[in-house]
Amino acid sequence: MPPKSYTDVSDQQVVVFAQEGREDAYRELIKRYERPVFSLIYRMVRDTETAEDLAQETFIKVLNNIDRYRPEFKFSSWLFKIANNITIDHLRRRQIDTISIEGAPDALTGERARATAVTLASGGESPLEAMESRELGESIEKAIAKLRPEYRACIILRHVEDYSYDEIAEIVKLPLGTVKTYIHRARQELREYLGDLK
Amino acid sequence: MIEHDFPEDFTPIAAELQRLPYLSPSRGFADRVISRIDRLNPQTALAPVPAHAGLELHQGGQAVAPRRRMGPVRVVGTAVAGVGLVAVASFLFVGIDILTAVLAAAVGQYSLVAAAFAAETGALVLGSEAMAYMQAGALEAVLLYLTLALGLFGGYAGIRTAASIAKRKAA
Repeated sequence: MPPKSYTDVSDQQVVVFAQEGREDAYRELIKRYERPVFSLIYRMVRDTETAEDLAQETFIKVLNNIDRYRPEFKFSSWLFKIANNITIDHLRRRQIDTISIEGAPDALTGERARATAVTLASGGESPLEAMESRELGESIEKAIAKLRPEYRACIILRHVEDYSYDEIAEIVKLPLGTVKTYIHRARQELREYLGDLK
Repeated sequence: MIEHDFPEDFTPIAAELQRLPYLSPSRGFADRVISRIDRLNPQTALAPVPAHAGLELHQGGQAVAPRRRMGPVRVVGTAVAGVGLVAVASFLFVGIDILTAVLAAAVGQYSLVAAAFAAETGALVLGSEAMAYMQAGALEAVLLYLTLALGLFGGYAGIRTAASIAKRKAA
């Protein structure tokens, strides 16, 4: 019997309902992960339209293959794995490595640059705090944008999504040692870029 | 909260990373994804045949093209091509020689005329008595020869057919 609300239902159980063909279960999975997946992809490609296309492609691929999901793994890990694969493939095709916080490097018009610029939300802070937070957040975003895409994925999965090293290695399909090295180097580079934050 | 596995000087950066906000895709993102899920939209999984303005017949919900009218030239061409194909296939697969078949048909048609002509010529040359003697029992002889010929040809055709079937199976 499917629940009226999926609030307290685990990902695995929602997936089972989706496998039964329930549209509300599909929508619940999208609702739970559209923002984390979009954010990860956006921070890697730094272009709103591209990130949305890639996020859409990720969900379509995952949800069309929902029957292949193995419940012994976390659904989110599987989803991030597909998102990372799709994004890395895109970056390899486009050769986008570093871009500006002010907008995507291929933004030819001001409107396009604004559309691709990072917009950060503030939550319940004073205007000064909000401004400082925004400046800080933008500094972090700028610093992340300077990292290699492989480093970006690892550092975001580690520090934003709270994944363990093993889970990250599984998601990005790299050896555990490589993941640890990437995260170590990413931290070093972030420290260099954000020296005055200390 | 992840375990503290980084140096102290990275702590403020780690804290800022954790405070990074989630970004949202545009409105209607979920609808766009849902519209591309095959299980929920069977019509997107099976792309429909684009309907043609002139189509009138429908089978199983899909439009099918009506049979086109054939002109006389097209009919003759199709008939010639069909007969040719049948003849070639017969020759290749059953071993029937087209020339043999045509000659056999001609012999069948003109054998009676040839027989009458031969009898008249024989009577003129050999005389009617000699011809009457030769023609006595001729019908039985013809039947005997026909049976022998049919047996020979039938046996030969049977062997050829069996050989070609064996060849095809081996291939």
